[in-house]
Amino acid sequence: MTLLKATDLKAGYGKVDVLFNGHITVEPGELVGIVGPNGAGKSTFLGAMAGSVRATSGAIELDGQSIVGRKPEDIVRLGLSLVPEGRAIFSDLSVDENLRLGLTGRRLKDGASAALKDVTDLFPVLTTHRDHQAGMLSGGQQQQLAIARALVSEPKVLLLDEPSLGLAPSVIQDVFGVLGRIQESGTAIVVVEQRAHLVMSIAARTLVMREGHVRATLTPDVAWDEEKLAEAYFGTGEDES
Amino acid sequence: MIQTILDALSFGGLYGLAALGIGLVFGVMRLVNFAHGELIAIGAYLLVITVPSLGLLAGIAIAVVGTALLALLMELGVFKRLRSAGPAVLLVASFGVSVFLQRLYEVIFGALPISAQVAPWMNGVIDIGGTTVTRGSIVTIILAMVLLVGMWFFIDRTTLGLQIRAASSDFQTARLLGVRSNRVIGAAFVFSGILAAAVAFVVVTQRGSVDPLFGVNITILALVGTVIGGLGSLQGAALGGFLVGSTISLLNAFLGNYRVYTYTWLFILVIIVLIVRPGGIVASRGTKERV
Amino acid sequence: MSIPNTSASSALRSSAVPGVTRFRWPELAGPVVVVVALTYLVSSLGASSSFLVQGTLVTLVMVLALQVFIGNSGVLSFGQAAFAMVGGFASGLATAPVTIKENVLSDLWGPLKTLSMGLWPSLLLAVVVGMIVAFISGLFLMRLNGLSAGIATFALLMVADNVFFNWRKIGPGPQVLPQVPKFQFVDEALALAVIALVVVYFMGISRRGRLLRATREDGLAARALGTSVWRLRVLFFTVSGGVAALSGAMYSHHAGAVSARDFYLGFTFTTLAMLVIGGVASVWGAVVGTLVVAAIGEVLLRFEQGVEIGNVLIYLPNGARGVAIAAALVVMLIWRQRGLTGGREFSFPRFGRWANRL
Repeated sequence: MTLLKATDLKAGYGKVDVLFNGHITVEPGELVGIVGPNGAGKSTFLGAMAGSVRATSGAIELDGQSIVGRKPEDIVRLGLSLVPEGRAIFSDLSVDENLRLGLTGRRLKDGASAALKDVTDLFPVLTTHRDHQAGMLSGGQQQQLAIARALVSEPKVLLLDEPSLGLAPSVIQDVFGVLGRIQESGTAIVVVEQRAHLVMSIAARTLVMREGHVRATLTPDVAWDEEKLAEAYFGTGEDES
Repeated sequence: MIQTILDALSFGGLYGLAALGIGLVFGVMRLVNFAHGELIAIGAYLLVITVPSLGLLAGIAIAVVGTALLALLMELGVFKRLRSAGPAVLLVASFGVSVFLQRLYEVIFGALPISAQVAPWMNGVIDIGGTTVTRGSIVTIILAMVLLVGMWFFIDRTTLGLQIRAASSDFQTARLLGVRSNRVIGAAFVFSGILAAAVAFVVVTQRGSVDPLFGVNITILALVGTVIGGLGSLQGAALGGFLVGSTISLLNAFLGNYRVYTYTWLFILVIIVLIVRPGGIVASRGTKERV
Repeated sequence: MSIPNTSASSALRSSAVPGVTRFRWPELAGPVVVVVALTYLVSSLGASSSFLVQGTLVTLVMVLALQVFIGNSGVLSFGQAAFAMVGGFASGLATAPVTIKENVLSDLWGPLKTLSMGLWPSLLLAVVVGMIVAFISGLFLMRLNGLSAGIATFALLMVADNVFFNWRKIGPGPQVLPQVPKFQFVDEALALAVIALVVVYFMGISRRGRLLRATREDGLAARALGTSVWRLRVLFFTVSGGVAALSGAMYSHHAGAVSARDFYLGFTFTTLAMLVIGGVASVWGAVVGTLVVAAIGEVLLRFEQGVEIGNVLIYLPNGARGVAIAAALVVMLIWRQRGLTGGREFSFPRFGRWANRL
């Protein structure tokens, strides 16, 4: 059964809709990318799935259960975890405290310490800085912390919003390199990125969004075809139905 | 001289407690609760009404529970329904709740002060190393320290406290991690109620009476403390309250006639802080300042 | 990432579309006609009714003062009562008999003691002084937004109260300034209220008003516009101060006396409640709010005094009126943040749009 499925999702802020037809399917262990220019609605899409953005209409199903319109704190307990754009770590709290906060959303109450250990194995730098204030970490380390914090709840689906934002190329590798190992444990990942190339080669599928609509779904072989990519990004006026 | 210092410390502690009560709720909700004064007032009313017949301990228990309940009621009845509202609307709403409760107290209890000796021993004196000092100031200092340390422990060492700190720093992200917004906000209100009850105890034993406007002045000054200490920082709020309280106490002792203008200086300071350093004197780095 | 910064609904924004700012005569005529008609109607009932109407007109001017600033800028201000205080004292001191001032207020500054002018010139004086004080404080305060503005203007009110209550050189201090000449006819207060209505309405639909309201919708746009927003806010704050001062001055000639505590928290609360209940974003909201709250207040007052319905004497406990108004404010914020009028100006629904297009 499809792990995560969104159809005809509309969402926005206040009276303004920013997302007009979000749709996506994600199987367990898959990595799916979402790319597109600024303002395309990518973050809104993720937010609507995670519950932090109000969905006006449409459907979202996680493991067969409808989660549209539910509160973010409930959705994370059902197994969907979002790492927001800009990392959003609690800079005044320590690395350890940030991680422990991630435990709040766990579905299963036992296994907390095992989960913490798994996550620090993935990102050893967090053990080194365990008691330091999160605000003191570098950008790349903060990104790792944010991902680790989301993983600690052992989600079925991990949503990443622009993980490469503000990071130097070498650091980006640290972050993206880990994604494969996360998938190995069965967690599906949806990555939103402005830098399409980062995601397209590792994703099973990449959605291209523009102006609130999903315009195309591309497979890795297309990733390096400039023409097809440009067409998907900037459009010939044809939408994907 | 010793008494002056003790007074300053006890006033400081008292206002620290009051400011912390306001700061707690502000942290999680960006709500400046003008109605905090009415929480203090209900605590005082409950003490005045129950202590003479039921004794001090029962009276205190009832006051604490009653105040916490009213705080929770405020949240559930009014502020919960204004979750998506901006800080200015919340401010007006809390003003409205405050006036509503003041007038309700007037209807229920009457506009005139109600007197009772809640704890007359507080006003007595004891001998410390040769000098006589009022019991009240010592008790207040001890009470303030116990509560502040207790709160610090709760906020810093418990899971719920961690969640409150996270929610104060970034409410949305905290929810994304699973922090239950309503639980955290409810807890903040309950604790602010408990702190209010403590303030009520100290003040009503000193004053010997309670009236509908009992909490207004304290709240206004505690608000000054919270702003000066830094909106969004719990330590800042307590510290700011302490500074305001002790300063007022010292100014009253030393300024003589000019002390009537204390408010003026204080509020000019507030304006300056808001303009120059909106984060407060004890600036908190993680505070997401809402415009 | 460009996400539009239209955060969730706030009472300080209206549903009015920017651009709905041409002069539409029904929008002004409606409130004016309603106010004038009600004034004469209710005053005809007797002297005490006339007094009540006059008092309501005074309050209306104050609510308009709040509206012109808060409604257009979207910035909360608790401070207008301070300007009313200034206006009330200015006008009161300028018109109170010199002998009274010399005997009762001996600490008053010389020139203030001897100052004497007619009622109408004193109103002008009040407005000017109010505007100056508002302008100066606005220079500092208008940099602030949202919550900070609310607290800072609250601080302003505290300072004003503290100063006026204690400084006997510029005012009666804790005492009441008595023997201020009163209005002779309700027409006087009515004329002033209508003038205030006109001024506030035109401020709202002016080009500057339009610009300011645009910043109300979008906090980011406001920041992007930078200094111009500050200047606009200072302008509207100043005008608001002038109108508030007028209200304070009117009050002194309505009550025949004035004191610092007349313009403190209770006054601030009542006028703010009226505005919020009526609708912050429009002049019609200010009028509706004032009339509705005043009317309900009067009705409840009668009930407090005891009303006979059939054979039964019903009466509400003393103070129920105050409770009701406060409750109404809170309920309105929860249920319908835009107020009774929804922030819209007066229009003729039955005649369709044609009247509005003339």
